[in-house]
Amino acid sequence: MPVLEVRKMSHNFGGLRAVNGYHLEIDAGQIRGLIGPNGAGKTTIFNLISGVYAPAEGEVSLNGRKVNGLPPHRIAAMGISRTFQNLLLWRHMTVVEHVKMAHYSRIRYGLAGAFFGTRKRHREEAEIEEKALGLLEMMGIRHLAGQVVLNLPYGAQRRVEMARALATEPRVLLLDEPTAGMNPEELVRIMEIIRRAHDELGLAILLIEHRLKVVMELCERIQTLNFGEVIAEGTPEEIRNDPKVIDAYLGKESLI
Amino acid sequence: MVIFLQNLVNALQWGSFYALIALGYSMVYSILMLFNFAHGDIFMVGAYIGFGVSVGLIGLAHSGLLPMPHWLILVLTILVSMFLTSFVGMIVERVGYRPLRNAPRASAAITGLMIGIILETGNLILLGARRVSFPSLIETATYDVGGVILTNKKIMIVGVSLLLSLALHQFVRRTKWGMAMRAMAFDSVVVPLMGVPLNTMAALTFAIGSALAAAAGILFGVAYPVLDPYMGIVFGWKAFVAAILGGRGSILGATLAGFLLGFTEIFVAMVFPSTLRDLIAYSIILLILTFRPHGFFGEPYSARLRL
Amino acid sequence: MAPPTTFRTFRAGWSRVPLIGWLFGALLAVTLERLVGGPLAAAVGLPKIPALFGLDIMLKKPLLIPNAFLYVLLVYGLPMGFATRASIAPANRLAAGLLRLPITVTTFVYIVFLYVIFHVWAEVNDYRALVLKLTLIAIMFTLSLNVINGYMGEFSCSHPGFMALGAYCASVFSLGLFVDTRFFGTALLPPALGPFVFPVALLLGGLLAAAGALIVAVPSFRTRGDYLAIISLAFLFIVKSLIENLEYVRGPRGLSGQPDWANLPTVFLWTVACIWSINNFVTSTIGKALNAVRDNEMAANAMTVDTRRTKMVAFLFAAFWAGIAGGLFAHVLRYVNPGTFGIQSLAEVLAMVYFGGLNSVYGSIVGAVSISLLGEALRPLEIFKWIIIPLLLILVMIYRPTGLIAFKDVDVTALFRPRTGPDEEV
Repeated sequence: MPVLEVRKMSHNFGGLRAVNGYHLEIDAGQIRGLIGPNGAGKTTIFNLISGVYAPAEGEVSLNGRKVNGLPPHRIAAMGISRTFQNLLLWRHMTVVEHVKMAHYSRIRYGLAGAFFGTRKRHREEAEIEEKALGLLEMMGIRHLAGQVVLNLPYGAQRRVEMARALATEPRVLLLDEPTAGMNPEELVRIMEIIRRAHDELGLAILLIEHRLKVVMELCERIQTLNFGEVIAEGTPEEIRNDPKVIDAYLGKESLI
Repeated sequence: MVIFLQNLVNALQWGSFYALIALGYSMVYSILMLFNFAHGDIFMVGAYIGFGVSVGLIGLAHSGLLPMPHWLILVLTILVSMFLTSFVGMIVERVGYRPLRNAPRASAAITGLMIGIILETGNLILLGARRVSFPSLIETATYDVGGVILTNKKIMIVGVSLLLSLALHQFVRRTKWGMAMRAMAFDSVVVPLMGVPLNTMAALTFAIGSALAAAAGILFGVAYPVLDPYMGIVFGWKAFVAAILGGRGSILGATLAGFLLGFTEIFVAMVFPSTLRDLIAYSIILLILTFRPHGFFGEPYSARLRL
Repeated sequence: MAPPTTFRTFRAGWSRVPLIGWLFGALLAVTLERLVGGPLAAAVGLPKIPALFGLDIMLKKPLLIPNAFLYVLLVYGLPMGFATRASIAPANRLAAGLLRLPITVTTFVYIVFLYVIFHVWAEVNDYRALVLKLTLIAIMFTLSLNVINGYMGEFSCSHPGFMALGAYCASVFSLGLFVDTRFFGTALLPPALGPFVFPVALLLGGLLAAAGALIVAVPSFRTRGDYLAIISLAFLFIVKSLIENLEYVRGPRGLSGQPDWANLPTVFLWTVACIWSINNFVTSTIGKALNAVRDNEMAANAMTVDTRRTKMVAFLFAAFWAGIAGGLFAHVLRYVNPGTFGIQSLAEVLAMVYFGGLNSVYGSIVGAVSISLLGEALRPLEIFKWIIIPLLLILVMIYRPTGLIAFKDVDVTALFRPRTGPDEEV
C-alpha cells in the first residue's frame, strides 16, 4: 500500500479549474518530482494535500486513511509535512523554537504543565529541545540555534524550514521549491540534506522544483503539470525525451 | 401604529448621527486598515467648533455688521465647521497615524485612543467642566401628520445626513480622488506605486471623515443642545460598532447599520426600560456578528471601499 | 547615544552587583527610612516622609524639589549605592551559592526577600500600602492582557469586563457569606473563616471571567481578522450594562463593605502566582504556539499547531487572571461599581501594555508600574495628567512602536546569576 495516495483530486478557484483529476501514489523511500510552468497548479496541489484547502473532488489518503477534509494541523499531525515556496517562518522566534514548535501535537504535559511548570513539562521540553538540536546538527545550523530567524541568511532560513518540517516526524514530506533563490554552494548543501532526509528517515518525498537539474538528479519519477493536469509522467529519462513536456514546458530549449 | 411611526421618526433622527460618524470609521478602515479610535472625539470637537462658529456668527448678525437670517447661520455653521474640523482630522492623521505607518496596527490604534483622551481633556481644560448649550438657530415648528409628530429639526437632520451620505457616495464614485480612494482600498501596497500618494489619500480620508463627524456633531447640537466633552465616547464607540456591522469599508453598509443601530436603540427603549438599551443593543450586535462575522456588506479578508 | 566615559566608568562599578546585592541595598534603604525617615524628612525641611520617592511632593510644592531630591538621595541613593558597591564580592558569592540550590528554593528565597522590602516600605503609611497593592493588581491585569494583545497579537477590548466579572463574583461571594448586609442578608459563615476561603472567592471570580471569555472567544476565533476587537468591545459594554441593570448587585450604586482580606501579603502572593504561571505558559511550546500563529498561521498549522485551541486556551487563561485581579481589586478598595470598568479603564490598561512592551513579561511589569506610579505622582496636576500620560504614550508608540521592553520573558536563572564583569549587563 502506498504511503500517500491521491485519487482524482480536483479543485476550482472561482470559475478556474486549478487542479483537474490529479493522482499520485508514493511509497516510503521514494522521491517524486512535480514540475510544470508557473501557474500550473503545483503549489495548489500541495495546499490541497496538506489541507489548506479542502479538495472539491477526489480523495487523499495517508496509509489508507482518508485525510481530505481534515483541518491542516490534523493532517500535519498524521504525518504529512511541508515547506513553503516563500519561506513562512515566524519572525520573532529563534531557530530552535521553530523546530520545537513542530512537536506541538505530540506534547503530553498538557495545560497543567504549561501553566504550572510541572516536572513532566521540564522533562518533555528538554527532550524535544534535544531532538530539535539533533535536527539542527543534521542541517548544519546547530550553532544558530539561539538566533532569531529574521537575522539569518537566506540559505540558513531554508534549512530552518527544512528542519522544522522534518521535526514533525512525517512520513510524507512536501518540498515546495526548496532551492529557490539559492546560490550554487547552498544548492549543493540543500540537495545533500534532502538526500540524507530520504536515506536516514525513509520518507516519501514530493518535490516541486524549477531547477530541472535538481529534479532530474533526485527523483525516481517525475510528473509534469500544465493547466492543472498531469500531462506526462515517468522516469527522468522519459520526461526528458517526452515531446509533450518539451512542448508545453520547455519550449525549444534543451534540457539543463 | 401611531406610536410605532412616531418611534420610527425618532429612530431615523437618532440613527442619522450614528450613520454619519460610522462613515468616518469605515472610510479610514478601508484605506489604512486601521480603526481611528479618535473619531468619536473628533465628533465631539466638531460639535464644539460648531458651537463656537454659530455663537460667533450670531454675534456678528446681532451686532448688525453682517445681518443674516438664522437658517443661513445654520447652513454657514455646518459648512464652516465641516471645513475646520477636517483640519482636526488631518492633524490627527499627521500626528498619530502617519509616523506609525509601518508599525503594528495596534500601536496606531493606541495613538488614536490617546489622541482621543487628549482631545477630551484639552476641551475640559479650555472650557471647564460646565456643559455648554448649543444656540437655538431655528425655531422648532411642529407638524402633526396623522398623530405622528414631526418637527422641522427632525426633518432637517435626517435630510442633511442622507444628503451627505449621498454626496459621499457620488464623490467616491465619480471623482478622480474618489476613484483613487477605491483603488487604494483595493490594494494599498501596489496602488501607491502607481503614483497615487498614500499620505495625501490618508489625509483626505481623515478630512472627509472628520467633516462628516462635524456635521453629525452640529446636527446633534441642534437636536440635543447640551454638549459635554465626553459625548464623543458614547457615540463614537457605538458608531464604530455600527461601521463594523455594516461591513468594514462599505459606505452603504455603514449608513444602513448606523440607522439600524438607531432603530434598535429606540425600539428597545420603547419596549423595555431605557436602562436596558445598551445591554440589548449590544447583545443583538454580538449575535449578528456571531452569525454574520463580516457584517452586512463586508467580505471575508477584504476591506474594500465599496458603494 | 553612549553616555560620557566618566559616567560609564562610574556606572560600570555597579554592573557587577547581582540581583541579591540590589535587594540587600533596597532592604537597607527601606529599613533606614523606617527607622529615621521621619526625623530625616524634618531635617531636610519636608513636612513628612515623601510617600512615592518624592514624586508626589515635587509637583505639589515645586519649591521643595531640592529638599525632596536630597531626601531621596540620603535615604535611597547613597545607602543603596554604597551598600551594593561594597557588597559586590559577598553578594556574588551568595548569588552563586543560592543558584546551586534547586531553582524552586532559590526563587522562593528571592521572593521572600522582595516581599520583606515591600513590606517595610509600605509600613511607613497607608497610602503607600494602597498604591503598592493597586500597582501589583495593575501588573496582573496588564500582564494578562499582554497575553492576548502581545503574545497572541489580537486586539481585545473586553479585559475590564473580565475584571468586572471577577470583582463582582468575588464580592458577592464574600459579602453574601461572611458579612451582614442589608441586600444579601446575614452572614452565613463565621467571618473568622473568611481569609481562608478568600482564595475560593477569587478563583470563582477568575472562573466566571473565563466563562465570560468563552462567549467572546467562540465567535471571534472562528474567522480571522479583527473580529475579536469588535466582539470584545461589545462584550465590555454588555457586561457593564448588565451589572448596571442587576438590582441583585445594587446596579449602578455598586457594592461596598467587602471584608478587608486583601492585605499586602495576599495581593503579593497572587501577583507572584500570576507572573509565574503566565511566564510558564508563554515560555512553553504550547504558549509559543501563540507567537507562531500570530507570525504566520499557515506555517503554524502545517507544523501541527491547532490555531483555535491555542487561541482559546490563551484567551480564557488571560481572562481568568483578569478575573482574579478584579476580585483582589474589589477587596482592596472594598468598593466596586460598574462605572469603574468602562472605556477609561480599558484605555488605561492598554496604555500600560503598549507602554511597557508587547510580548513581554518584563514589559508588562514595567508598564504597569510606571503608568501607575506616574498616575499617582501626577495626581496634583489633576486633569493635566490626562494630557501628559497620553502624550508620553504617543511618543513611545512613535519611537518604539512595540513598547519599551518588547519580546522579553523572565528567565529566572539569568536573573539570579552572579555578575562577573562590566560587559555582562542584562
